Amino acid sequence: MSNTGTNIIYGLYDDETDLLAAVKEANSQHLEIMDVLSPFPVHGLDPLLGLSESRLHVAGFFFGLTGTLVAFLFMTWSLGFDWQVIYGGKPYWPVPSFIPITFELTVLFASVGMVVTFYTICGLGPGVENPIIDKRITDNKFCIAFDASHTNHEAVNNFFSSTGATEVNQKTI
Amino acid sequence: MKQFEIPTKLNTLLFAMMGVGLLSLGLTYFVFDGELQERFWSNLLHNSIFFTVVAFMALFFYCCNIVALSGWYTQFKRLWEAYSLFLLPGLLLIAFVGLSGMLGWSHLYHWADPASVAEDKILEGKSPFLNYRWYFMATLLFGGIWYFISRRLRSLSVQEDLHGTMDYKYHRKMRVFAAFLLIFGGFTSAAAIWLWVMSVDAHWYSTLFAWYSCVSGLIAMVALTIMTLIYLKAKGYYQNVTLEHLHDLGKYMFAFSIFWTYMWFSQYMLIWYANVGEETVYFKERLDKYPVLFWGNLLINFVLPFLVLLRNDTKRKYGTLIFVSAMLVFGHWLDYFLMLKPGILHTTHALAGHSHDGHSATEHAHHAAEAVGGFAGPGFLELGTFIGFLGFFLFFSYRALRNANMEPKKDPYYEESLHHHV
Repeated sequence: MSNTGTNIIYGLYDDETDLLAAVKEANSQHLEIMDVLSPFPVHGLDPLLGLSESRLHVAGFFFGLTGTLVAFLFMTWSLGFDWQVIYGGKPYWPVPSFIPITFELTVLFASVGMVVTFYTICGLGPGVENPIIDKRITDNKFCIAFDASHTNHEAVNNFFSSTGATEVNQKTI
Repeated sequence: MKQFEIPTKLNTLLFAMMGVGLLSLGLTYFVFDGELQERFWSNLLHNSIFFTVVAFMALFFYCCNIVALSGWYTQFKRLWEAYSLFLLPGLLLIAFVGLSGMLGWSHLYHWADPASVAEDKILEGKSPFLNYRWYFMATLLFGGIWYFISRRLRSLSVQEDLHGTMDYKYHRKMRVFAAFLLIFGGFTSAAAIWLWVMSVDAHWYSTLFAWYSCVSGLIAMVALTIMTLIYLKAKGYYQNVTLEHLHDLGKYMFAFSIFWTYMWFSQYMLIWYANVGEETVYFKERLDKYPVLFWGNLLINFVLPFLVLLRNDTKRKYGTLIFVSAMLVFGHWLDYFLMLKPGILHTTHALAGHSHDGHSATEHAHHAAEAVGGFAGPGFLELGTFIGFLGFFLFFSYRALRNANMEPKKDPYYEESLHHHV
């Protein structure tokens, strides 16, 4: 996500309750919010912004299933058929002793797969530059940003002053 | 919030359930029992222990939440207080079964038979711990202290309702008792489980048995909580308990089911791998004679809840939650069945062999024990006893729920609980 040259108007809020109320207000005024940024996850924000639930965990399930099958089938093939070994007086196909490794590979595949999927979806990776709207957003400020070219400036400014934004700025990111 | 009144229909139902239980126990005792009355006493012990562990885990989990300063559960904490008060009848019933063994009415524990201990080196070596002195100490002294703490927490929480000023005065006192119970109850419950449950297989032991069986009780407790909350919501109580709370309880049920499996498998795999005769006998007995129960136990308590509760939305729907909860309460009852019954059957065989001298004794014993039902799997009388005990447990806790405000409005965490959001 390099710089896109988008011109934005953004307002900063001191408190998450102000933020939630402002987002509700923006929805009722049909102002199209570009993005909302907060230093921590705010409860109840996702449904207000109309964000659907992430489907990352569906991917996680299939990555995990792959791990289960890879571990179990590989051990079955190698120890049970290709190179049969007797150890500890156990049968060639000792299922209980496969379980811990199957479990570990399930966790490994699911977690690594989900991380890679997440980075790919978000376009993250080494060398990516993130446009930073305001450094205080990572500390104590909550931000609502509008795309300046798509919105009525006056309406946005009125919106910010009526919902208690402490600061309103324009910036090109 | 209105005061809880047991609805008339529910009252009738609970009394009917208790009636079924009494009828089953009576039929077992007078009609369908063996020479040593092993079916009656083992059913009584099985259900008393199961519901006592459920009550204990309610107390334990409640204390965990108090010590962790968590507030999500505060609205319905009276429910857990009510569950934990069942410790009194539960412990008394277990003590009664112990007393019956001491008086020679029941013969459930191999270590309790002096003739067996005298000729058995292993039992003799364990006799300093496996004896009725310790049995009653665990049941009455340790259990009495658990019950005392559950009473104290209950009365502090009720006093807070009357005199509380939204400060932490009462909560601080409760925290002291809760912290004490976590340590004291953590150790003593393990000893109690060894004596009550594990010692029916008197030769066998497993170091993680206590965790494994207590987690069983914890899952059953959370499952009962979910079903009770959904029922009470339908009756117009606890309207502020939302899907968010049920979602969290569902997650606990899901997570502890996996933890239960982890314990089950750790116990199984180490014994399977080491392959030491006196340890494997426990699983050999169950795998050979109870294959359906043995694998069914894993299916009900792990595979099904895992697959059903894995998705996010199944923890937020009444249908799936009730389905899994009901299955898990029954499943963990079945788990206790499988922990207790094979060992008791074994003891019965051994003791019947003692009482009839001569070479036909074992034959006779086998004949006597195999004629009795209720050991190969739960029959109608076992299910009837379970229903009776479930009715008793619910009746007792609903009565306790009735005797105080349903919601602790003066609890400093009450407000947090209202806004709980996952």
